[in-house]
Amino acid sequence: MPTTRGGIAAILLACLAVGGAAPALAQSDDPLGVGRKMLAEDNPGELWIERGKTLFYQKRGPKNASLEQCDFGMGPGKLEGAAARLPRYFPDTDKVQDLETRLLTCMVQQQGFDRADIVKRAISPGGSSGSDVEALALYITSRSNGMKVNVSLSHQKEYDTYKAGEYLFFRRSGQTDFGCVQCHGEANKRIRLQDLVHMTDKKGAQEVASTWPAYRGAHFVVRTMQWRLTDCFWQMRLPDMSYGSDMSIALTLYLNYQGNGAVIQVPGFKR
Amino acid sequence: MRIAGLRWVVVGVPALIAAGCATFPDEATTRQNAEKMVSEGFSTSPVFAKRLVQDRSQQICSKIAGAPLTQQEAAEVVKLARASFQYPASGKLVGDWKIGDRLAHDGAGDRILRGKLEKRKENGGLCQNCHALAPGEINVGNVGPALTGYGLQRGNSEAIAKLTYERIYNAWAYSPCSNMPRVGATRHLTPEQITHMVAYLLDPASPINKK
Amino acid sequence: MAEPMKIRATLQGDIADVRILMLHPMETGQRKDSKGEIVPMHFIQSVVVTHNGKTVLDTQWSQAVARNPFLGLRIKGAKAGDKIGVTWVDNKGDKRTDEATVTPAS
Repeated sequence: MPTTRGGIAAILLACLAVGGAAPALAQSDDPLGVGRKMLAEDNPGELWIERGKTLFYQKRGPKNASLEQCDFGMGPGKLEGAAARLPRYFPDTDKVQDLETRLLTCMVQQQGFDRADIVKRAISPGGSSGSDVEALALYITSRSNGMKVNVSLSHQKEYDTYKAGEYLFFRRSGQTDFGCVQCHGEANKRIRLQDLVHMTDKKGAQEVASTWPAYRGAHFVVRTMQWRLTDCFWQMRLPDMSYGSDMSIALTLYLNYQGNGAVIQVPGFKR
Repeated sequence: MRIAGLRWVVVGVPALIAAGCATFPDEATTRQNAEKMVSEGFSTSPVFAKRLVQDRSQQICSKIAGAPLTQQEAAEVVKLARASFQYPASGKLVGDWKIGDRLAHDGAGDRILRGKLEKRKENGGLCQNCHALAPGEINVGNVGPALTGYGLQRGNSEAIAKLTYERIYNAWAYSPCSNMPRVGATRHLTPEQITHMVAYLLDPASPINKK
Repeated sequence: MAEPMKIRATLQGDIADVRILMLHPMETGQRKDSKGEIVPMHFIQSVVVTHNGKTVLDTQWSQAVARNPFLGLRIKGAKAGDKIGVTWVDNKGDKRTDEATVTPAS
């Protein structure tokens, strides 16, 4: 089962216009590709966007405030294209942050939520109705749908973080001797029947940068990049990744930067 | 006015840097930054934190962005790998292929979730994740070369049994820095378990050698 | 429960291609939760689709339909601006109705 099928599905997903014409269910020598296309065109994850939107504009938390003053890098409340530029440096926290940690900052500072409590619930159980963070992350990213990934490096911390992310991608760790590159460094590879994204290739990096958050079919909920990294480390026989760790931000910055130019289309659809 | 000039340099250069002349840090700085991130990036007990410490071979084999392995580095990895070999107490390197068959298809074991270690009798071999095994099996990976017909192609002499045992125990003794986990050397699998997998690969009766 | 559906209805010639996404746990009543207890049955039992008020599809579902189900159908004799209505009722008596308008193919 070549990865080109996954690649084709990803490209189709990126080109898909919501509400577009029905696909020609023509005979295909790539039945998996046809199936993936069908799933991508009618993605239950889309129903999380409305949820995220409601949560974003609702006054919530001890401070009874909405997230409209949250600055994702383009000014308070400006969401159009903001996710396309993440991760990036933020002067108010003096840190490079990804979408989820930036969201966390605002939920804590502007809404008064307890950080540990949000983190505990950020990744929802499979089969649940999903977490607030998952819905919010999807909604905010969806406001960059149709736009190109546009991560840039200008602050010294962005340069440092990018290089750290690159180092981490290749770092072999634990009893599996795995770095990310062991599974994601070659074309047309798969683990069992799961195609592996070729991340050291431009197209693969672009898929990573433009399809998260995504509906994880087997879990019936929307999943985020933080979840994906956590799940990888689990399979690599490493300890629990800390949600929002600098390590996770560094890897995300490294990959998203490699993925520049990809057209964002979320929610993605993953198995 | 040398002193005034020096003062200008002291004030001026930082000002230039602050003005945005940012650059990629050097390798040593990156290593320091990244290793700090690793030490802080996981919520873990000291027991599990050990998994994050790289051994010498892992350090060599963490080449960034396709940087080549030097002859010297390769030799060092091979040497360390050869020194790691441990054999079963019985001295018998070929075990039970039926157990090996089960282990080869088992991808679970030793994973950590919310601070708890996956409760299983023994760790799976993980082979099916990356290798094609018995003919006709569809749900197999291709990260590693196909092992279908392994014993048919090589026979089951003592020499082949030893080679096979060692390749599974520590693949880096033969292919330094290969993608394959050093499952015996890292203690993911026991020597006994590996003997069963050797049998699974070599025994003419094993499904992997069915035509 | 009763979360809103997402309905798309696109015209192709005189056929409306209708795609419906629903949010529903679709519990079979056979699954056990982490405590080992059976999660009770909770699934959509009927789905009715109307075209300008006229019923064009009347279905009975069972637990065999997956969580967060998708329903797709094609309705002949449609025009742009026609109203498509979808109503589901589940075994607890919960129901949800949503509407969409047939839009021309872009």
